[in-house]
Amino acid sequence: MSLQPSRDKRASLADAVALVSDGAIVALGGGLSARLPMAMVRELIRQGRRGLHLVGSAHSIDVDMLVAAGAVRRCEESYVGFEQDLGLAPAYRRAAQEGSIEVAESCCVNILAQLRAAEMGLPFLPVRGVRGSDIAGLHPEYATITCPFTGETLIAVPALRPDVALLHAPSGDRYGNLHLEQPYVLDERFASAARTVIATVDELVSTEEVAASGVTIPAHLVTATVLARFGAHPTSCYPRYAYDRAHLREYVSAAQSGPDDLGKYLTTYVYGSEESYRAAVGAERLAALTAWSHSTATWQELFR
Amino acid sequence: MSWTIDEWFVVALARTIRPAETVFHGFGSPCAQVAMHVARRTHAPDMVLIEGAMYAINPDPPFIPPTGNDASLSRGAVYSMRFEEFFDAAIRGDVDRMFLSGGQIDVSGNTNVTAIGPVARPKVKLGGGGGGCNVSATIGHLTLWTTRHRSGYTLVEACDFITDIGHRTPLGTRAEIGFTGGGPQWLVTELGVFDFPGGRARLVQLFPDVSLAEIREVTGFPVQVAGDLRAVGPPSAGELAAVRSVDPLGVRRSEFSPRELDRVFEAEAGPDCAC
Repeated sequence: MSLQPSRDKRASLADAVALVSDGAIVALGGGLSARLPMAMVRELIRQGRRGLHLVGSAHSIDVDMLVAAGAVRRCEESYVGFEQDLGLAPAYRRAAQEGSIEVAESCCVNILAQLRAAEMGLPFLPVRGVRGSDIAGLHPEYATITCPFTGETLIAVPALRPDVALLHAPSGDRYGNLHLEQPYVLDERFASAARTVIATVDELVSTEEVAASGVTIPAHLVTATVLARFGAHPTSCYPRYAYDRAHLREYVSAAQSGPDDLGKYLTTYVYGSEESYRAAVGAERLAALTAWSHSTATWQELFR
Repeated sequence: MSWTIDEWFVVALARTIRPAETVFHGFGSPCAQVAMHVARRTHAPDMVLIEGAMYAINPDPPFIPPTGNDASLSRGAVYSMRFEEFFDAAIRGDVDRMFLSGGQIDVSGNTNVTAIGPVARPKVKLGGGGGGCNVSATIGHLTLWTTRHRSGYTLVEACDFITDIGHRTPLGTRAEIGFTGGGPQWLVTELGVFDFPGGRARLVQLFPDVSLAEIREVTGFPVQVAGDLRAVGPPSAGELAAVRSVDPLGVRRSEFSPRELDRVFEAEAGPDCAC
């Protein structure tokens, strides 16, 4: 497959997300409370996508909400949850306990090695750990090999080529050049390992501007780019906005309480459009999240 | 001078860090996170502190937020590793210490952050291990911790599921498997401190408001006790000041049950330096 041609790749959110088929292997960019591709997650739910195989490192509301909406067949992340602060991921936990999703819990190092193999066009890469851990038992596709040079026993993990990677960036141009701030997490690896890369950006800027900020992911890896303001909300997208802890808590509490409250959450926030999502969250709240840089006191206050 | 258990616990964790070590904590680990900054501000100013899921080197965060990858955590760092830079360093053996916790921790220091009960249909599906099942094999030493020892279900004879590798798994010992890291060196709980001579947990220190009988009652394996069992050394004024200034929001407290947070201690100020 060639690199992506140089052309205007702007698309609507609906058209871009339509590139994700039912049953696709979907890589989720960002991690934990930072830069999760939430506008695309919400659009996948609106479009009623089913049977997805999600891959990623440490994730939270993105995976949980897709599981809650019935979009997921298989989860292959190294962590799904809301850290010490808000606890276990309610819908993911329930589905795993009921056996309604396949849990192929993985490890950051294995996923990284698998993506690197795909980037290099190799069938596998070896890793040293894993043996002795029961994580190995969740992955019949791994193999035990002997190093031809040292005789060391290693675990071979197969190349992982996602059908589509969903990434969110604070800014990018119409051609798909993206600027990210740290943590990049696995976004760069996903961008070169996946067959299709869809990016949402909080702001579309000129090529000169994105070049001046620094191109983290180049246009030749990106298939489509979509303007989605607050597209990572309720997670953070620095330097634009901090994460919305109160909103995450509202989601977790609805998801913990069960299908009725979860249904209400989805109706209030998700089933409309991104415009109605931002309206439901409220302009005042969104503005407060962008005010993090005014002072340390303002920033800290967002986390109380 | 008075202090609470969360402050003392963090100080006990900080003291497991040796000068000049390269140290890492995972996400969702506020106590370990605060402890690393306390160590760097007290007895280990030359450590290489890798800040959790930001992978920032030696930052000075203005506060610790309740999430592990907020940009506040990289403030003051002139460099943040990429995800792959950190994991490469960890698996090639360039990281000296990592803090690890678990819903279950067994007598060999294996930890379970994956599932309670059978993994195919778990009683409780936990969050998952991040990079632990690889990096626990190669990082120099592990400091394990839990704030839930008293629950009775955290310290167990054998984990339902081994996510991160301790001293011995059903496949054999670390040496037999061929792992290069030293494995668990300390296990710090809200009741006391264990070391791992011969690869098995042994109680070496108690918090002074806890009895050996209480520890035996809530520990799921027979408690081996060091001949010179002693009380955890009280925090110095400098250590307490560091805890309070590093963590003004008190996120470390989110790891404790409300009952534990009522534990308050008082004493004359100890020496200013733990060394």
